[in-house]
Amino acid sequence: MTTIRRFCCNDLLRFAHVNLDHLTETFNMSFYMTYLARWPDYFHVAEGPGNRIMGYIMGKVEGQGESWHGHVTAVTVASEYRRQQLAKKLMHMLEDISDKMDKAYFVDLFVRASNMPAIKMYEKLGYVIYRRVLRYYSGEEDGLDMRKALSQDVEKKSIIPLKRPVTTDELEYD
Amino acid sequence: MASKFGLAGGIPERRVRPIWDAVDSRQFKAALKLCVALLTKYPNSPYALALKALILERMGKPEEALNVCLDAKELLFSSSIIHMDDLTLSTLQIVLQRLDRLDLATSCYEHACGKYPNNLEIIMGLFNCYVREYSFVKQQQTAIKMYKIVGEERFLLWAVCSIQLQVFCSSGGDKLLALAEALLKKHISSHSLHEPEALVIYISVLEQQAKYKDALEILSGDLGSLIGIEADKLRIQGRLHARSCDYAAAANIFQKVLESCPDDWESFLHYLGCSLEDDIVWSTSMITDQNISPNLSETQACNLTEEVFDQRISNALSFIEKLQVKVANDHVRCPFLATIEIERRRRMKGKTDDGKFVEVLLNYFHRFSHLSCFTSDVEMYLPILTHDEKTDLLEKLMRAAESPLATPLKNLGQAITIFKIQELLGATRFLPVRELEDTAMKMVGMYYDNLSLSRDLDPQENMHGEELLSMASSALVLLFWRTRHLGYLLEAILILEFGLTVRRYVWQYKILLLHLYSYMGALPTAYEWYGTLDVKNILLETISHHILPQMLRSPFFLDTADLLKEYLKFMDDHLRESADLTFLAYRHRNYSKAVEFVQFKERLQHSQQYLTARLEASVLQLKQKENLEEVECVLENISYGTQSLELSTKERLESLTFNDDLEARPWWSPSSDINYLSEPFEAGSSSLRMNLHKVEKKEGTVRKHIERRSLLPRMVYLSIQTASSSLKEIVEPNGSIVNNNMSYELKHLLERYAENIGLPFDDAKDVILGIAAGQKSFKDFGADVVDCINFAIFVNAWNSCSHHWKLPNGDGCSLSSWHIVDSLVRTCITEQLTCSLPILTSPGSNLPVLVQLVTESFSWHILVIQSCLRSTIPQGKKKKRSAMDQSNLPQVKAIRTSIECLISAVLGVRKWLADQIVGQEDEKLDVLLSHVKGRELQDGPGRVFQALEDYGAANHSELGERISGSLQSWSSADVLRKFAGAQKSLLSRFHGICDTKLKLLESMKQTV
Repeated sequence: MTTIRRFCCNDLLRFAHVNLDHLTETFNMSFYMTYLARWPDYFHVAEGPGNRIMGYIMGKVEGQGESWHGHVTAVTVASEYRRQQLAKKLMHMLEDISDKMDKAYFVDLFVRASNMPAIKMYEKLGYVIYRRVLRYYSGEEDGLDMRKALSQDVEKKSIIPLKRPVTTDELEYD
Repeated sequence: MASKFGLAGGIPERRVRPIWDAVDSRQFKAALKLCVALLTKYPNSPYALALKALILERMGKPEEALNVCLDAKELLFSSSIIHMDDLTLSTLQIVLQRLDRLDLATSCYEHACGKYPNNLEIIMGLFNCYVREYSFVKQQQTAIKMYKIVGEERFLLWAVCSIQLQVFCSSGGDKLLALAEALLKKHISSHSLHEPEALVIYISVLEQQAKYKDALEILSGDLGSLIGIEADKLRIQGRLHARSCDYAAAANIFQKVLESCPDDWESFLHYLGCSLEDDIVWSTSMITDQNISPNLSETQACNLTEEVFDQRISNALSFIEKLQVKVANDHVRCPFLATIEIERRRRMKGKTDDGKFVEVLLNYFHRFSHLSCFTSDVEMYLPILTHDEKTDLLEKLMRAAESPLATPLKNLGQAITIFKIQELLGATRFLPVRELEDTAMKMVGMYYDNLSLSRDLDPQENMHGEELLSMASSALVLLFWRTRHLGYLLEAILILEFGLTVRRYVWQYKILLLHLYSYMGALPTAYEWYGTLDVKNILLETISHHILPQMLRSPFFLDTADLLKEYLKFMDDHLRESADLTFLAYRHRNYSKAVEFVQFKERLQHSQQYLTARLEASVLQLKQKENLEEVECVLENISYGTQSLELSTKERLESLTFNDDLEARPWWSPSSDINYLSEPFEAGSSSLRMNLHKVEKKEGTVRKHIERRSLLPRMVYLSIQTASSSLKEIVEPNGSIVNNNMSYELKHLLERYAENIGLPFDDAKDVILGIAAGQKSFKDFGADVVDCINFAIFVNAWNSCSHHWKLPNGDGCSLSSWHIVDSLVRTCITEQLTCSLPILTSPGSNLPVLVQLVTESFSWHILVIQSCLRSTIPQGKKKKRSAMDQSNLPQVKAIRTSIECLISAVLGVRKWLADQIVGQEDEKLDVLLSHVKGRELQDGPGRVFQALEDYGAANHSELGERISGSLQSWSSADVLRKFAGAQKSLLSRFHGICDTKLKLLESMKQTV
């Protein structure tokens, strides 16, 4: 029961029940609006009956050469609509756009090293842990950089895991 | 920042690089030093000046920065200048924007464009200036200029968007749209279009002019391939067909969408609406992403003949059945919910086959009853059921639930669904008390019994059955409403606290708790729970209503000021940066977003809460100050109250937007101004959630309330002014001139105030006179008691200056307006204190009213008095004359009486507070426990409490370390102790305020 469409500003006023979840970050306005202004095709919302927001995904596309890739900045689903594979649907959508429209080589995302439920879910969706990023979250918790290769990356070079962890200074993108 | 030839603003880059580095590393002093040195070498460089201004601004020297900017501007405008580039201009622009002088930045760019009419970079900067100023016409002209220079598609689209914005923001844009269309057409004929967003805008321009066929033609031509996602293209096509009333084609298209996205509920609704030709949603204007989704309540009965209707329904059914077969996957619900919608349409057409509607609901139940979203899926259909159907449905659901499902999890899910449906249908509402208690017990028990299912979950994950505790607490609140037994409310709190002990992240519990605590006078705990919700950024706009209204009526000034400050900062920051983000959208060629951002900014700018917060911030500042001089400083800072008046002009009030997300509020308080628990239980009304509050009525009330509050600061100011001139005039006949203008303005505001509550001024005066004479009650005044007293106070201030209101009372004696205020104060405090029960055991007390009376109304009256008294002390070097010298004047006598009246009123309140503050913590705990403890065998609350106690004490090793550990830490007594402590802290804070007021009044009394 999912109508997936581009996210619009007015949705910011209707997503409270999704964002009150303690693991869903509410970013500042310029963050959301920069995503909307630059990568509107990477920001989608899923609506259910009664126009209730079920969840949303926001992301971007960036990089150069073989590191041109889609990035998942946030994906979240309201508790009421969990365990129905909605996140999977939203992720597929973003992967599809990265793959077909933008011809990216891979999609990546960062996740808290302690967030086991999410890590497991991403693994199920075909993501592998590419590297560990030391103290990525507020200088405290480590993050895991997970990746999934797209069709451009025929040899799947982009997802060969790094042997050592990296620091935030070594990251190529913010 | 570097320019192409190693020059920055005409200066070699190596010379400015160190300055940039110093600024970037926030070494402003060093930067300034370097910059001053640079200026000695390049005294006539506008860029060096711009840098200096930038540094000064960052150092917190706005005035100096502005002066330097002006120098730079002068240089730019002088004929001698040889170098002018975008770097200089944009640096100046940054500083000027921060100094809130966009106009100066614009004029610099305008000048530069005049000088270099073909410099694209500079013209783009000018366009950006107009974006910041929301000057759509100038935006359009500038974009066209750029388009003419380079012929690029993006500049044309900038112009088209600027035209669209003109149309949205003012009426009568038909010609403009035609111009936009013509420009696009011409461009396409020579250059075609290359960006998907350009096409989207082109389509929307045609759509706005109702040229649907043209739009369709373009979409199905070559340009159509620009839209990358096929389903998106189909959705636009469907919409266009529907808007052109070609329903058959539209239905056909939506059918295609459903074939590729069978779970797309919105497309299904459009498909059905178009098939039956009753889809009226399309008449509303829309553009690009800001979809207007079908609203079921808006569907009109369709006008098809019976035969055609039957045919179409049967086609729809067979299509949907095919989809159902196709999606054997459990997670796709749309084709199954669709059958319910189809049945609803049949019903609307008058086809009510017996049992059919219940049957389709039941089918859906069989398939999805275990899902947490089952109830919200079908919620919109339940009100349609007749009473008999409801009973029938419930019976059948219960019967269906008798056969267990495949897993314990699914069983739990289904049981929860049944509870929810019972609640929604209002079935629980009229259960006998004992049965309702049983239901709550059953829910709590079920939650506990199923904890083992969550044993291996990550602590971050939602546990299974969490909704049960929300529902149980809701049932207990209902029990309280029906029986008025305090114990039920305490149990409702305990259940939620228990749930949070098991897992501390459940925001739904926190919201319910904060409302219960607020209602029960434990505001500090409510505020604490609110804090744990981590409400920030845009959530401040949608979620603050859970706490802000209570805080505004509380004695917690500092916390309230923090709330307001944080919210206003968020809004102001957004309003400031929004235009830059709009420009970002232009730059990245996401034109539709540029339009959307402007509309969104408008929406936030007109937010009801934003307006309220700005007004209340002023009122709060006034409340926080005690003596006249301090208040006068505050008034000076808020333009003597005129700022507030400007906020509530008719246009502003009419264009208010309401952005609160009321969804998560408890059923008993669907909006901040409604609380059913304060009203008697209405046995007659059916399910509350169906009785959705009339939004329009609410909005009207809010507008009135805002208008009244907006008058306050100005009325306070004018009252102080007129009151001071009143006595002066008598004491020193030649010493002062009564400020007629002020008196006139105050009168005008009083008239507006009266009009706001729906009374002519004279009638409003008659009401307060009537109350003073004991012939009328506060209820006769159209607003609440605080508004009434305020009105009397301001009327008195006005009257003490103009003296034309001598009021004969019943005995033929005249009452001065001072006496009227005194009488009103006495009456209302007596009334309030008589009906005030101790808050420990009386939820919903009128404490907020008392707080407002003391901290607002009395404060205003005290200010009026202080002002009168001050005017009796001559200014300057003259020998001070004691106010006692005039003690025989009737006015001075009246003032003295008024002070005494206030003292006695505040003393009354303080005593009421003190009586409740005394007593040991344990005594209070015992009182609370007596409402829930040891009562299992009697009627009334106690069973849930006991159950929680038992759960806490039991051995839970089977639940795993985490859950059993948290259960062991459970203590009802701790929760209740904290509750009583929070109440005490509220009372003490208010008590403290009363103390301060009394000290002030006593000192005033000494001077009279």
